[in-house]
Amino acid sequence: MGEIFGAPGELLASTIRFATPLVLAALGGMFSERSGVVNIGLEGLMLISAFAGVVGASLSGNAFVGLGFALAAGLAFALVHALMCVTFEADQIISGTAINLLALGGTGFLLVVIFGTGGTSPRVEGFEELPIPLLSDIPVVGPALFSQSLLVYLMYLLVPVTFFVLFRTPFGLRLRATGEVPEAVDTAGVSVTRMRYYGVALSGLLAALGGVYLSMGLLSAFTENMTGGRGFIALAALIFGRWHPIGAAAAALLFGFAQAVTIQAPQDLIPQEFLQMLPYVLTIVVLAGFGGRAIAPAAIGKPYRKE
Amino acid sequence: MSEDQTPQRPDEEATRGSRLHRVLLDTGGALVFPLFAILISFLIGAVIVLATGNNPLAAYAALLQGAVGSPTAIGRTLLGATPLIFTGLAVAVAFRAGLFNIGGEGQLYIGAITAAWLGVSLGFLGPIGIVLVLLACVLTGFLWGAIPGFLKARFGAHEVITTIMLNYIGIYLATYLALKPLRTEGLVPGTDTIDIAARIPFIGLGLGRANYGFFIALFAAVVAYLLLWRTRRGFQIRAVGLSPGAANYAGMGIGMNTVLALAIGGAFAAVGGGVEVLGVYGKMTVPFVTQLGFNGIGVALLGRNHPAGVVLGALLFGGLYSGAQEMQFATDVPLQLANVLLAVILLLVTATKLVELVLGKRARALAGARLEKGLGQ
Repeated sequence: MGEIFGAPGELLASTIRFATPLVLAALGGMFSERSGVVNIGLEGLMLISAFAGVVGASLSGNAFVGLGFALAAGLAFALVHALMCVTFEADQIISGTAINLLALGGTGFLLVVIFGTGGTSPRVEGFEELPIPLLSDIPVVGPALFSQSLLVYLMYLLVPVTFFVLFRTPFGLRLRATGEVPEAVDTAGVSVTRMRYYGVALSGLLAALGGVYLSMGLLSAFTENMTGGRGFIALAALIFGRWHPIGAAAAALLFGFAQAVTIQAPQDLIPQEFLQMLPYVLTIVVLAGFGGRAIAPAAIGKPYRKE
Repeated sequence: MSEDQTPQRPDEEATRGSRLHRVLLDTGGALVFPLFAILISFLIGAVIVLATGNNPLAAYAALLQGAVGSPTAIGRTLLGATPLIFTGLAVAVAFRAGLFNIGGEGQLYIGAITAAWLGVSLGFLGPIGIVLVLLACVLTGFLWGAIPGFLKARFGAHEVITTIMLNYIGIYLATYLALKPLRTEGLVPGTDTIDIAARIPFIGLGLGRANYGFFIALFAAVVAYLLLWRTRRGFQIRAVGLSPGAANYAGMGIGMNTVLALAIGGAFAAVGGGVEVLGVYGKMTVPFVTQLGFNGIGVALLGRNHPAGVVLGALLFGGLYSGAQEMQFATDVPLQLANVLLAVILLLVTATKLVELVLGKRARALAGARLEKGLGQ
């Protein structure tokens, strides 16, 4: 194994790096979908945020300003999605697709307008690796898990936090109920509209973290269409993980591992295209009900109209 | 399958006197959403152009010039519209059965790799080769499209998710085939070039690189229309889309119609991929064209999921992309503005409440009823 895949620690470290944006965006999708709003615009939200982060960092020379820009952009475009789907009762799949197109066209457009170049932005200040004292000294696992960028540590925290918020707080209960039986939530005097806005807004913020990790964690620049389908893999992780934070994070880790193997495995062992297919194939397999059926929130995709 | 005896709907009977009036009202209603979305998107576009320090009128004039201002421009528009007619039909046919086909991208790739492969081996047959290759695309696209249909009919797996996933599976599969078994030596990685005799010829007439693929696309739209409105199967597909419960009660078999609607959609998109390879590129390179499948969704929605509407929608999209090149050349506005405009159109085209807010309840009632039928869960 060691011969083929390099040091196991290296494989683990690169699994974490590939999984981080997937975990973050999948957690984002969770909040949206649990509230009853399909969000296939995760890809676009990540892309816009990846770009906004680079713009912020480039203007200020400070990575944290970039992060702020990214969060603001992710939030803003998520709210556009919410406005369309929740308020204007537009179709959620269509709106998500439009967000993806808008992200691709908008970032391509602004890349030329702001930086004067197509393709790739100038390099910016990114989030450097930040080894945690003591923890990063643990052999093999330490450097892999605890010598990463700040956003990775944030991801470690956000998995249990998402679990706690969803399943241990009144807010989480309401959010989940909004996605299952909106009528009941409405009857209880809680605004379905507001809960769905919260859900979609949170998905924008979390997808933004995933996006900014791509442009300022993995790389230190924005390149056109740099998400390259990761938003859809996050969506796959969300479904493969059965709309559960721990499940989704585990699925994202598995898909991250597949990507890490893709990069490190020698070409002739197994064609890399087949490894790249893996997340999508597995998602179809669970959707078809093999190994326990994946069941979506009951009211997902339907606009709620008050009687 | 020729004529079939479709029982006349009672409401049709009642309003026969004012049939022309009804048709006009229907068409007008159908156009409310698309025209509204296009108008708003161009207004937003004008603001964006202003923000970049350019004159919106000059930019749009250049856009129009680049879309239809000369034979070359028109040719470019036709060239861009051709694959979008196919991917638009792929979405529209499925939509009529109440299904979302987000899988146009993957289906197009499956058709493209089929054509790139067979086009080389059947090249010696010349024009007959073209026909055979496109028929092969129909077959592979049909089978590929049937997968999500089968998964939905048999296991209840939602077609939105499975078609999204199959997009990437199809893209990686085609990429693998183009880069490994079918790869040839060359500067750009990809398949071998197809013999010129087995390629779809240019139209000529000063239309630049526009080829007869556009007419194949128009033919496909006619086929889609006849299939949906003039055959028993088409009637069943539409019935399943309008009212699955009633269709099931009438013994139409939702499962089979689900599989067929998605499979037929897949066939259209795949032929689109085949036409791109045979008409434009002559081979499949990696990376290959992207976004055509996703743009097909916008085309179909703008065209109200009607084949004639799909052709118009595709011409609009093709014109925008073609015009944007001229706009970038004549002004400082990057051509990616076209994508932004299209995205905004797509964002607004199903926003029923927004139309109601701006144009009043009547407009919504006129247009909304048809839309909701088309968007059945």
